[in-house]
Amino acid sequence: MAGARKRTSSAGRSAPKNRQVPWLLIGAIVVVLALIGGIGFFLFDRSAQISPWRPSQDNRDPSLAIPGIVLQAYEGQHHVTPEQRVAYDRTPPFGGPHDGYWAACNGQVYPQPVRNENMVHSLEHGAVWIAYDPARVQGAALDTLTAKVQGQNQMMMSPYPGLEQPISLQSWGHQLAVPDATDPRIDQFISSLRGNPNGVFPEVGASCDALGPGAFDPANPPPFEGQPYPRDALPMNYQGTSGAGGMGGAG
Amino acid sequence: MTASSVTSQVSPPEPPDVDDHDDDHGGWWSDSPGWAKAVVAVGAVLILLLVGGLAGAVIGQRTAPTYAPAAGSVDVGFLQDMSVHHRQAIQMAVWERSNTTDPALRQLAFDIESSQTQQLGMMQGWLQLWEQRGETAPGQYMAWMGMPMPSMPGMATEADLQRLRASTGQPLDVEFLQLMLRHHEGGLHMMESAAAQASVPAVRTLATSMVTTQTAESQTMTQLLAARGAAPLPMN
Repeated sequence: MAGARKRTSSAGRSAPKNRQVPWLLIGAIVVVLALIGGIGFFLFDRSAQISPWRPSQDNRDPSLAIPGIVLQAYEGQHHVTPEQRVAYDRTPPFGGPHDGYWAACNGQVYPQPVRNENMVHSLEHGAVWIAYDPARVQGAALDTLTAKVQGQNQMMMSPYPGLEQPISLQSWGHQLAVPDATDPRIDQFISSLRGNPNGVFPEVGASCDALGPGAFDPANPPPFEGQPYPRDALPMNYQGTSGAGGMGGAG
Repeated sequence: MTASSVTSQVSPPEPPDVDDHDDDHGGWWSDSPGWAKAVVAVGAVLILLLVGGLAGAVIGQRTAPTYAPAAGSVDVGFLQDMSVHHRQAIQMAVWERSNTTDPALRQLAFDIESSQTQQLGMMQGWLQLWEQRGETAPGQYMAWMGMPMPSMPGMATEADLQRLRASTGQPLDVEFLQLMLRHHEGGLHMMESAAAQASVPAVRTLATSMVTTQTAESQTMTQLLAARGAAPLPMN
């Protein structure tokens, strides 16, 4: 009977052939399309999971790829006393000598500006510090930033009067200024640097908790002192700093 | 016989080996448009690639022992030894933090305590994942460095610890600084060896960060000791 059908088709080659539904061909095409779609989805899904902003052995400091990132190498572990000041080379500072008492960086949202020397020590412990200009960042923008900090270890935020751009992010040796709170580079900076285990900041695994009154009290932090720096402020070449003397000599 | 009758009629376009089986559908392949053939060909290539990729992944998983280092390896030996080493540092730091009257020493002790507690957790977690015991077997310290020892350099003796706990005020701070400085310096060689030789990248990274942190802390403690008119202890 197959031969009969075939014979008919060969008699009028073009017209009757259209009646013949090529199920095998259609099936093969459907399978191939499903395969391509599946592989495509798998690859897309995987690439979405492997964030380019997550530190890894192959990508030890992803922040290097963030447009506008500013880098500066600093030595860690140089301490000053609570009475001393440091003439920092950057605004806000992101490395250099610092107070022996680190500022609490366990998700602290400081309502007031905090002394530079304490904040820089928290950067040494792997914290990301969001500084914002209180005159230009308010309302919804401030809420957006707060949500990135509150309850997050190794995060802290404080107003910083006189910033050049409305928002400035600091990590030890890294800084990024951005114009508004929705800038995607904010999350890229945080993901790349906060708690990065690859030695981009000096003290991996160090605490962000404060010991309270007598040390650093998050409810009553030492007040911010702006520029110009006083004549006796310590220079960035680490002379006159260190833990010697015992007053500011904590880790 | 059906096939032969077909062959006799349509023989020029169809090769004989195809129509033996495909008589029901005729020459669906040769009759198919070019684009459909291309789609099917791409599909065949993809299937081959998938099979090859899966096979490679399975073989790759079997031959990746670096993520479960064996007992006696540098990774396991270092993590077990350093767990013991860290536990004693934490013990001394907790005592100093709770009993010193110097806020700067309290802060230093808390920094050491919290950092090393965090690192101890990482080390214990990896050992548990690799199904290894959490600390070195007695008398087998530093065997992974080729020289099994009854103890590790820098470790405080029970008499040291009793002296620490019996002290108060500045003598307590001096005892603490002396014991912790020797403890840091005694562990340095192990950390440097692991930073250079461990097979698991995360272990090398952790050991490297220990070297950085403790070298800096040792400088601070040396200065704090000098400021109190005391000298470091000789290495034990």
